[in-house]
Amino acid sequence: MNISRRHFLGVAGGMISSAAAGNCKKVFAARQPKAPPNPYGCVVDLTACVGCRTCEQACNRVNHLPPPKERLDDRTVLDQKRRPSTGAFTVINSYYSGRLDEQNQLVPTYVKVQCMHCQDPACASACITGALSKKDNGAVHYDKSKCVGCRYCLVACPFQIPAYEYFDPLTPRVRKCTFCYERISMGGKPGCAAACPMEAITFGNRQILLEGTRRKITANPVRYLNKIYGESEVGGTSWMYISKDPFEKLGFLSLPHYPMPHLTETIQHSIFAYMWAPITLFAILTGAMWKINPEQINHAPGFQAQEDHI
Amino acid sequence: MKRSSKGKLTIVLMSLIVLSLGTVLAIAWAEAEPDRADKTGFREVLVGLIDSIFERDRAGESKPAVVKTNPPAHRAWHDRVASARQRGKETIPLVKDVFKETASERRARLAYRLRPKDIPAEYNFFVMNCPLVNEEDDFYGPVRFMHKKHASISNDCSGCHHYRPNVPDASETMRCSACHQNSFNPIAPDRIGLKGAIHRQCTGCHKKLHRGPIRCSSGCHEKRVRDHTELVELSRKPDALEVTKECLRCHPAQGEEMLSSTHWLWKGPSPFTLGQDKRVDMGKATVTINNFCVSVFSNWPRCTGCHAGYGWKDASFDFTDKTRIDCLVCHDTTGTYRKDLKAAGMPDPSVDLLLVAKKVGKPSRKTCGNCHFSGGDQDFVRHGKLNALLDFHGSSCDVHMGGLGFQCHDCHKTRNHKISGRSIALPVAEGSRSCNHCHTDAPHQEKSLLTHHLNKHSDHIACVTCHQPVYAKYTPVKTYWDWSTAGDKERKVKRDEDGMPDYAWEAGDFSWGREIKPVYAWYNGKVKRHLLGDPINSEGVTNLNEPAGDIMDRESKIYPFKIMGGTQAADAKYNYLLVPHLEGVGGFWQALDWQRSFASGAEASGLAYSGEYKWVETAMYLSLNHEVLPKVFALSCVQCHESLRNRLSCGRCHQDKRGVDFRELAFSGIDEKLIHLTRKADRSQINETDWLNFKDLGYKGDPILYGGRFKKLPLGWKVASQKK
Repeated sequence: MNISRRHFLGVAGGMISSAAAGNCKKVFAARQPKAPPNPYGCVVDLTACVGCRTCEQACNRVNHLPPPKERLDDRTVLDQKRRPSTGAFTVINSYYSGRLDEQNQLVPTYVKVQCMHCQDPACASACITGALSKKDNGAVHYDKSKCVGCRYCLVACPFQIPAYEYFDPLTPRVRKCTFCYERISMGGKPGCAAACPMEAITFGNRQILLEGTRRKITANPVRYLNKIYGESEVGGTSWMYISKDPFEKLGFLSLPHYPMPHLTETIQHSIFAYMWAPITLFAILTGAMWKINPEQINHAPGFQAQEDHI
Repeated sequence: MKRSSKGKLTIVLMSLIVLSLGTVLAIAWAEAEPDRADKTGFREVLVGLIDSIFERDRAGESKPAVVKTNPPAHRAWHDRVASARQRGKETIPLVKDVFKETASERRARLAYRLRPKDIPAEYNFFVMNCPLVNEEDDFYGPVRFMHKKHASISNDCSGCHHYRPNVPDASETMRCSACHQNSFNPIAPDRIGLKGAIHRQCTGCHKKLHRGPIRCSSGCHEKRVRDHTELVELSRKPDALEVTKECLRCHPAQGEEMLSSTHWLWKGPSPFTLGQDKRVDMGKATVTINNFCVSVFSNWPRCTGCHAGYGWKDASFDFTDKTRIDCLVCHDTTGTYRKDLKAAGMPDPSVDLLLVAKKVGKPSRKTCGNCHFSGGDQDFVRHGKLNALLDFHGSSCDVHMGGLGFQCHDCHKTRNHKISGRSIALPVAEGSRSCNHCHTDAPHQEKSLLTHHLNKHSDHIACVTCHQPVYAKYTPVKTYWDWSTAGDKERKVKRDEDGMPDYAWEAGDFSWGREIKPVYAWYNGKVKRHLLGDPINSEGVTNLNEPAGDIMDRESKIYPFKIMGGTQAADAKYNYLLVPHLEGVGGFWQALDWQRSFASGAEASGLAYSGEYKWVETAMYLSLNHEVLPKVFALSCVQCHESLRNRLSCGRCHQDKRGVDFRELAFSGIDEKLIHLTRKADRSQINETDWLNFKDLGYKGDPILYGGRFKKLPLGWKVASQKK
C-alpha cells in the first residue's frame, strides 16, 4: 500500500471536516434556547428617568448593602460612568446624546445599569458548578453554596455585570442584581421598580410587557425610537429599555441577536459530541505514529525497559 | 249635628293655629342663623322665600352694625382643611375605561365647560398622602398641593385631567387616583401607577415652565428621618458635649455647615441694611442694639441661654469648636429638651439627654419656638406675631400653622443648615422668604369681580397688610419697656387682666397690648439701622431700626409693623446708647448701680463711658409676617376706602350688571368679625374706615378719589377736589 503523506493528510482532513460539519449541524439544531416560557420582565423608560438615584437607595436597602458611598443628592457621580459593584447592584449613569433643550443646554439621558437577566444567560452557561441558573420567574439566580469562585461568569457576561468580592479572602461571593428573587417569588416587585418615583421601571410579565411597550411606542412615535433594547439582544433579556436617543450613544453595546451560549455551547458541544473529536484525534495520532515507524513503537527501548522491570 | 259642626270648627281653628305657629317657628329658625355655612336645602329655600316675601336685600344687612359671633366662614375653612386631609388618605374605586379623545379635543371641550374659577372651595387644596404611593416605602411626608393655584396658573384643566371616565354621567374631572392606582394593573396595563403619574405630571410641567420644585425633599416633600434609637451609642448619662460628639461621628459635614450659620455665629452678611450691605460681621453678637435687653455684650451667660451652642460665657468663646454645637435644641422630637436659660446655652440638668439623642428628628414648631416664641424668657414678650398659640385657634390665629399645620421649615426652607428668611430687627439673612414665593404675584384667584382689584393691590401693599389687620390676637405682647425706672424692689407690681405685670424691679416699667392695630409704613426690604456707637437722635425718638421706603419707590409696598417703644440709657457726653451690664459681678441686678453697670458694659462693648448718662426714648420696628389670616378675616374694601361707604365708585367702569352686588363686594371681609371673635376687642375700631391713613402714607387721599401713586383715575375721571 503506497499512500503518500500528502494523500493521507488530504483524506484525513476531508473525513474530519465532513464529520465535524455533520455533527455541528446536528448539535446546533439540537440546542434549543433555555429561556423560561413565562418569565417576568422590566422595561426601563429612559425618557422618564430623572436620575434621582432612588433605585440605588432602594436596592441597597432591600439587599442589605451598605448605603451608597456618595450621598444620594450628589449628582456629580452620574457623570462617572460607574459599573455595578459588590456594594451597588444597580447604578445610574448619565449620557449626553447631543440633544438640546430650549435653553440650548445638553439634555442628559439617565441610564440604569444592572444585571439584564438574559433569557438564556451566558454566565449560567459558563458556570461550571451550576451556581448561576435561570429561574422560571426570569431571575438569573446565584447560589452561593455551589460557587467555587472560578469567576468564569465574570468573563462570560456580555454586559460585564457580575462583581467579585476580591477583598474577602475566605468566603468571596459573586455579586450582582438578584432581580429581587425572593420578593418577586412572593408576588412583590423588585425594590428599584417599587421605589422609582417616576415609575420609569415597569415590572410585569415579560410577554404582556412587551406588547404594552410596543403599543406605547406606536402611540408615541416622537417620544420613542422604534426599538426595545433587550427584546432580542442576546436572545432576549428580562430587563429591557426604551429610549428617545439611539442606544449606541447611551453606552449600550451592539450585541448579536442570538443567545451567547449558542456559539460557545455549539462549539463545545460539537467538539465533544459522542467523543468523536478526541477519538479522532487519538486515532490520527496513533495512525501517524504507526505510519512513521511501526517498528520503533513495538521495539522502543522504553517499552522494553518497562517490560524488563515488570 | 250641632256637636259635629262645633267639632269641625275646633279642628279648623286648631289646624290654623298649628299652621301659623309652624310658620312663625320656621321663619324664626330661618332667621336665627341666616349665614350658616352648612345651610340645609330646606332652610335655604325658606330663607329665599322669606326674603322674596319681604323684598329684602340680604347683602345690605352685612353692614358693620350687625354683630355676629363665630362667623360661619371660619368654620367652613376648618372643615375644608379636615376634609382635605381626609380626602388625601382615601382610595376610590378604579375607573376601568376612559373616554378616548386627543389632547386638543379635550382641551377645546374643557375650555368651554370648566374654568379654574369654577373650582369649588373644598377643592382649593389637597393634602396628598395616598396609601397607594406609600405602600412600598414611606420615606417622605405628605405633599400639600394648591389645586386652584395650579389651575389658575396653567388655566387649562385638561393638562392634568387628560381623560374622563367613559360613562355618560361621570364627572369631567376626577382625582388622579381614580384612574392611576397600582402600576401594571391587569385591568389597564398601559396606565402608569399613581406615584409615577403624579411625579411625571408635576416635574414635567415644573421643568417645562421653569418654576416649581423638582427635587424631592427640597421641594414638595419632607423627608422622614431615620430612627436613631439603634444608631446612637452613648453612655447612660451623657453630658451635652458627648452627645454632640456622637452626632458628629456620622454627621461631620453638618457640623461644618453649622459653624458658618447665623444661628451659631449670631452675625453674618447684612445685604439688606442700608449703607452696610457689604459687611459680613453684623448681628446680635456684634453691633446691633434692641429695645429689650439692649445688647449681648457683658450679658453673655443670660443672653446666650438661647444660643445654639454650649458655653458662650464671655467674649472668648471659640466659634470654630464643632463639639460645642447644640444639635438637640433644634432636632429634639420628644419635647422634653430645655435649655437652662441662665447657663450660657447648657441644657437643663433634668433633661434626659440620652432619650433626646435617640429620638432626634426634624425640627418642628416646638423646637424653633423654644427660642423664637419665648424670646426674653417668656412666651409673647418679644414677638407679637410669634407665640406658642399659633398652633391653636386654627386659622383664626394663623392660617398656615394653625389651619394647615405648617411647620416653620415648610416656609423657611433650609439648606445646609442655612435657614432662609429675614427679619427687620436683625441684619443677618440667609435667604429671603416671601408670600409670593408660593402664592405668586397674583395671589387672588377667586371667581369674583374683586379679584382683579385685589391683585393690583399686591403691587402696592404687602399681603399681611390686609391679611393681618391686628396682631397679638390671642396673647398680650410687650409694647414698651422703660429701663429708667428699674431698681425699685419695694414697688408693688400691678397685673392687668391677662396677668401681665406692669413693673419688674430688674427691668422697669412695661406696657402690654393686645389685638393691636399695626403701624403702616412704606418698606422696600432695606432697613436703616442704628448700630452700637451711632449718635442718638437728640431731637426725639431714636429709631433702632427703620424700614426704608417711599411712596414714589416702585419697590416699596405698605407693610404693617409693630412698634416696640423703650427708654434706654445714653451717654450724656458722647451721645450714643450705652450697654447695661445686668447679671453677675458688677451687674445692675446685683448692685442696683447704673454707673457701675454702664462702665462694665462699656468696657465689654469697647465703647468709652463718660461717667454721665441720660435716659432717651427709643423705638424699634418689628415686622409682622406671621399670624396671617385667611380671606374671611382679611380687611374689607371699605375699611380703608372711606369713599366706598356711601356712594360706590364701581360704576365708573362697571355697568350696574344684574346679579352683582357691588356693595356686598366692598363690604365683604373681616369687618368686625375678627374683633368679635376674641375676648378683648377694641370696639372703637368697628365702623371705622381709616384702617390705613392714606395721607400719612403720602397719598393725597383715598386713591379711589385721588388716583394711585403712579396712576391717574381711569376713564378721564377727575380728582374729587377738582370736580368740585
